[in-house]
Amino acid sequence: MNETILKLAGSALAVAIMVAIAWLARIARPMTPLDEAGARLLIAEEFPDLSPDQLWVAGDGGGAVARAGEDALVVYRLGDSWVARSMPWVSALAAPVKRGKVLLKLRDPAAPMARLTVSGVSPWPPKSAQEVLAA
Amino acid sequence: MTLDPITPAFSPVDLAIPVFVVTILLEIILARLGKVRAVYEVKDTATSLGMGLGSSIAGAITGGVIFAASLWVYKYHLFDIPMTAWWAWVAVFFLEDLTYYWFHRLSHERRFWWASHVNHHTSQHYNLATALRQTWTGGLAGTWLLWLPLVFLGFPPAMVVIQKGISLVYQYWIHTEAVRRMPRWFEAVFNTPSHHRVHHARNPRYLDANYAGILIIWDRMFGSYIPEDDAEACRYGIVHNLGDFNIFRVAFHEWMAIGKDLAGSRSIREVIGYLFGPPGWSPDGSRDTSATLKAKWRARMATVSPAASEETIPLQAAE
Repeated sequence: MNETILKLAGSALAVAIMVAIAWLARIARPMTPLDEAGARLLIAEEFPDLSPDQLWVAGDGGGAVARAGEDALVVYRLGDSWVARSMPWVSALAAPVKRGKVLLKLRDPAAPMARLTVSGVSPWPPKSAQEVLAA
Repeated sequence: MTLDPITPAFSPVDLAIPVFVVTILLEIILARLGKVRAVYEVKDTATSLGMGLGSSIAGAITGGVIFAASLWVYKYHLFDIPMTAWWAWVAVFFLEDLTYYWFHRLSHERRFWWASHVNHHTSQHYNLATALRQTWTGGLAGTWLLWLPLVFLGFPPAMVVIQKGISLVYQYWIHTEAVRRMPRWFEAVFNTPSHHRVHHARNPRYLDANYAGILIIWDRMFGSYIPEDDAEACRYGIVHNLGDFNIFRVAFHEWMAIGKDLAGSRSIREVIGYLFGPPGWSPDGSRDTSATLKAKWRARMATVSPAASEETIPLQAAE
């Protein structure tokens, strides 16, 4: 039993050292905030069979939402990578904004929620959608 | 020389742990110096290594049951296969590797077993740390049963355990982008970084391929081999990547998704489909499976360049 615990403790220490070295090395993928062109490219890669029209990019470039028919195509940053999901457009429009983030419930145990930064330049819901709603 | 047929004389994985640590550090440092290609994101690395640590704990919990089952089956073994015979090691090498191939294929093509194996594919990176992102629920998923026929044949349980360990250790080094290609003869026979990059890729053309453990010959024999195409870089991860680095989500998300689907099932057919259909199966076909993703990809390729797509689409993809 003691030997097992010692082994585990040794492994945990080794894990901590490896993570620390990875942090010091700073060899993650270089990431730049999404702009409209970047967001369109990313969405085209993740949803190659859909043709989105409206596009909203998060205030900090950490994600984007595009509309393709009745679907909202959501992409958001995770570390140095991206996560993509779709959800009903109407649910996306109704998503609450809290502390400067729009909270998009993705209803997937693997990715339950996307939190995208809202700003004055990129309010939520998107301006074009607001116009549609007002009409 | 005598070897205990029940208790393994050594654990290849335990012996290799220092090698794992040194080589991961080496891969990071050489990548930092620009000598090799490797990408490490800190949280992703912590998740992979944390999963490895958790896996050894989970393995210790379920290991007793698996060991007891092996002993029970060994009581009824058909042939006396001596652990000291060289031919017995050659035989167990091939038979264990063949068993691994089918275990691995089942673990990708049927959702119940995918739920246990998926965590190994959840990193969007491909480096030596990814190799240690191991399952916590393999014991519960019961895939270890697939190795019991070897024991029933007469291979001592210790021999099977050692060979499984050798296979795991072999598969560690192929989780890297630092090695482009091995010599052609090696690529033809053995599983390599190039073959296994394809296995970890989420590009539709690469899905459900290269299930090999040590020998790639099984994929070539059973039609699941797809070579790495330098024109299409592998994008790693799963079709629907995880939304965060929560280690419990990594370990259990697909089980949770199965539970959610089962709760909404309306017939036995749906229950069976959700449990044992291919990942992505749904009663109305509204979700994507590997097969539908490949079909859509083939259709896109045919639109872009019909002639080129016929040449480049792997034969086994055109099922």
